[in-house]
Amino acid sequence: METKILFNILSFPVSEALFFTWIIMAFLCLVSFLLTRNLQRIPRGFQHVLEIAVEGIENLVLDNMGPQGKIFIPLILTIALYVFTANVTGVIPGAMSPTSDLNTTVALALLVFLVGHAAEIYLKGFKAWFRGFFEPHWILFPINVVGEISQVLSHSFRLYGNILGGGILVGIVYMLAPYALPVPLLAWFDVIMGAIQAAVFTLLATVYIQIRLN
Amino acid sequence: MLEIAIIIGAVAIGSGIALVAGGLVGIGEGYAAGKALEAMARQPEMEGSIRTTMVLGQAISESGAIYALAVVLFLIFSIALPLLERFLELLG
Repeated sequence: METKILFNILSFPVSEALFFTWIIMAFLCLVSFLLTRNLQRIPRGFQHVLEIAVEGIENLVLDNMGPQGKIFIPLILTIALYVFTANVTGVIPGAMSPTSDLNTTVALALLVFLVGHAAEIYLKGFKAWFRGFFEPHWILFPINVVGEISQVLSHSFRLYGNILGGGILVGIVYMLAPYALPVPLLAWFDVIMGAIQAAVFTLLATVYIQIRLN
Repeated sequence: MLEIAIIIGAVAIGSGIALVAGGLVGIGEGYAAGKALEAMARQPEMEGSIRTTMVLGQAISESGAIYALAVVLFLIFSIALPLLERFLELLG
């Protein structure tokens, strides 16, 4: 449960989750660079995978938000790619998925929260945004504030709890039966549940930004 | 000595009770999936939007189970495990 500090860079502590986040960032940058070097009009090989990912997120965002959601596509695609890769990282022995650290998921949820509110202030103006907290009646102001805070809480705890819970279960099975049995469990908890939770996190990020816009 | 043992036992019982939330959420989510399947069988052309709404609703109603899981993790790893180490030290 406690954050493990791997090493320090000039008195700046680097935790395990941060270290693997950097590795995933480098991996994603490298793969994106290699796959987009020579794009063809008629896709071949890995370009199909790339186009499925980009078009899937594009359709998801545009279906939910309409044409004004176009500027959010890069953000949502980055969140989806990062969360999916981070969840699947747990399969590698010795590696830790950064999303099983609460700091990572809270940072992602806060990012979505801030982007949603900033977009509302930018599009509707400060006054309309401020008045939104007093609707439908000023007496509901505390409930609206608690609702906003619990949105961040549930958004981050959902990913964290699922990934950490799966990791703990696989760890217990490792202790009881270290051979053969953990393999299907790893496939289920890290690959399949990881993909589902990444999809849910992305979908909720889109919806949380979209309800701020309308 | 006895007090520590009672706290550890109470944490174990409390964790077990908290996990009832997981079972209840399982019932609810299964019901939602069944209803979505009925809707898909009736209107196969609406499959995409039905699936999206179903996953969204299930993800939101899963919050209860996730909160229970967070409480259980806190109870076990922040309260029971340090006490268990003290208990084993006292036993020698």
